[in-house]
Amino acid sequence: MSGLVLAQFLGLSAALLGIGLFGILTRRNFILLLIAIEVAINAAVLNFVYFAGFASGPGGVSGQAAAVVVVGLAATEVAVGLAIVLALNRQRGSINVAEASTLRQ
Amino acid sequence: MGAFDTLFQWAFLVPLFPLVGFVIVGFFGDRMKKAEYGGWVAVVLSGLAMFVGILIAIGEALSPGTYTDASYTWLNLPGTQSVFSNGFSLVMGTLVDPISALMLVVVNVVGFLVMLYSIAYMHHDQGLPRYYAELSLFLVAMNGLVLSDNLLEFFLFWELVGVCSYFLIGFYYEKPSAASAAKEAFLVTRVGDVLFLLGIFLYFATYATSGGGAGWAASGFKFTNGNTPFLGSLVGSASSPTLTIAGLMMLAGAAGKSAQFPLDVWLPDAMEGPTTVSALIHAATMVAAGVYLLVVVSLFLGFTADDRLAIVAVGGFTTIWAASMALVNTDIKRVVAYSTISQLGYMVLAVGAGFAMVGLYHLFTHAFFKALLFLAAGSVIHAVGTQDLLKMGGLRKSMRVTWIAFFVGAMSLSGIPPFAGFWSKDDVLASVYSQVGAHPLYWPFLLCAFATVFLTAYYIFRAWFLAFDGDGSRDASLPHAHEAPWAMRLPLIVLSGLALVAGLFAFVPSFANLLPGAGVPPTYGTTDLMLSATSVGLGFGGLGLAYLMWGNGRVFTLPADSPLQPFRTVLLRRYYVKDAYDWFGLKAVYGLSRAADFVDQYVIDGTVRGIERAFSQLSDAGRRLQTGVVSDYAAYVVSGLVGLLVFLLWIAPWLVRSVGGG
Repeated sequence: MSGLVLAQFLGLSAALLGIGLFGILTRRNFILLLIAIEVAINAAVLNFVYFAGFASGPGGVSGQAAAVVVVGLAATEVAVGLAIVLALNRQRGSINVAEASTLRQ
Repeated sequence: MGAFDTLFQWAFLVPLFPLVGFVIVGFFGDRMKKAEYGGWVAVVLSGLAMFVGILIAIGEALSPGTYTDASYTWLNLPGTQSVFSNGFSLVMGTLVDPISALMLVVVNVVGFLVMLYSIAYMHHDQGLPRYYAELSLFLVAMNGLVLSDNLLEFFLFWELVGVCSYFLIGFYYEKPSAASAAKEAFLVTRVGDVLFLLGIFLYFATYATSGGGAGWAASGFKFTNGNTPFLGSLVGSASSPTLTIAGLMMLAGAAGKSAQFPLDVWLPDAMEGPTTVSALIHAATMVAAGVYLLVVVSLFLGFTADDRLAIVAVGGFTTIWAASMALVNTDIKRVVAYSTISQLGYMVLAVGAGFAMVGLYHLFTHAFFKALLFLAAGSVIHAVGTQDLLKMGGLRKSMRVTWIAFFVGAMSLSGIPPFAGFWSKDDVLASVYSQVGAHPLYWPFLLCAFATVFLTAYYIFRAWFLAFDGDGSRDASLPHAHEAPWAMRLPLIVLSGLALVAGLFAFVPSFANLLPGAGVPPTYGTTDLMLSATSVGLGFGGLGLAYLMWGNGRVFTLPADSPLQPFRTVLLRRYYVKDAYDWFGLKAVYGLSRAADFVDQYVIDGTVRGIERAFSQLSDAGRRLQTGVVSDYAAYVVSGLVGLLVFLLWIAPWLVRSVGGG
């Protein structure tokens, strides 16, 4: 019974991951790329939360803790990403990732 | 301990004098005001070497059977490994013994006279400092070879005389024929040299650890143990296959240096060098080094019976082989060169028959009369500017001294008594005759040697009549000949004297001490007198035939339809041996080289280049993947993830199922 419910939850995660990957592969705009990465990361965060809910004992708490850590990591990652976006925009006047194929000009 | 002990210890002075000459003339000759000054330096220093050499010979003659070894150990390896269980030493030193003392006289007397002769003969040539430096270096090497106290040192100087011969044959290096003759001489003798070296290796393999002369190779191949010579005790009469082969290798080395069949092709071509060089190197000394090697090996180490048969065969056949080619040649120097090969054959024959000292006796007399013939021929060439006998003629009127000198040389070469060649050549024939019972194959080679006496007298007097008889030059364009200057006449006169009396030296008891062995001086029993009569008769027969055909300015031309014409062609083409060697070199070796080149270029290099190209293309493909576009890298990550999933979910379970696990 609970396996069926877990499978439905995991289906949601897989869908989110798929959407995120689709965005990563197709977007050329750096900001949309960052958003897609966030979506994919959140699929993983959701998985932590599901498994924490189904687990018993200390494992449940650690799963939730891991979820919080990953959210924090995602936030810092976005901060770094946005900094790169700003630098890129300042240097090349464009935030199209397909155009930024060299590390220096 | 004799009175001459110190002198014998200081024998190294003999090569040292010409070495000083080499350094002075070679390095400073170009800066001297006149090129002749360098020549006089070389003459004076070779004269000093001659002086010391003759002193040593006198000392050795007065203290019979003395062997004085003065050696320095260059390198001493302790015996550690199995091959070197006795250790190994490299030594350099001088060994003064009867035969080396005799050779010192030959080398330095002829060397000094040729140096003196060169002053006048080479007067008009360019590059005189080079000439005198190389000639001095040759004297260094030849004296070093003669005085060597071990086989390795012998080989070292052996190669050095070969190099000097190469330099001097190619003295007129701007002439293509001279340059190629020099190369030919170097390469053909090299065949013998390599075999000689292999023979030394074989002796080492036999004597490094065991055998009758255990420790001989380890002590650096020295001919003596202290001042005690081995005198044939190493090989003795042993008939080991290895020693027989080693002896054959020595014969091959000697055949290369002494131009014996089949390595004889280089000597006639070596006549491209100056005539003085031919007289010194290619008549009296260097070509005799091969015979000297055989004498040394036979004296100190010994030859097996099979070796001796091979030596007799090579020497006996070479006598008639070379003499036959001299019959038709019209180049005065080449006629004398063929006769050198033929006479060297006599010496080899005598050594093979077991009479090494008889061979050395003939070497001694031959050095003088053959140097005389060459210098006389040089005087003729100097006067008329051609070597073609058919263009000369009538020179006896204008060149009295040369005329008589050539006559004395020719008489001596033909073995007419009392000239020097008679005594030694007869001694050779008599000693070989005394051994014909040893093996049935000795007979044909003895007959070759007898027939050659006739041919020799014929061809050398043919040359003499052609050059000196008749009313005048057959070619009117030749300059009017004048007798040579004194620097050329003096050596001719001295050598004429030696060619007259050198053979009689062997009857002087103290001089005979320099040739310690059977057969010297020659004895004259009934058989020997019959043999002598035969050979002298043959000599006069050849002389008479030459007079009938060529005397008084007659020129005998073989009719065009004569059945002998094909033989004449074969002889002029030198039995096609040189053509065969050229063909072998050009076609066979070149073809082999081409095949090797193909393998090198396409198989070996092809493999290397193929591997290089494969990696280059692989990395080119890898480089194209690295676009620098973020999305592409993301795509690689995602495809890797998908691949991992596919593997874990389908492929891995299928693998587990199919191998039957779990």
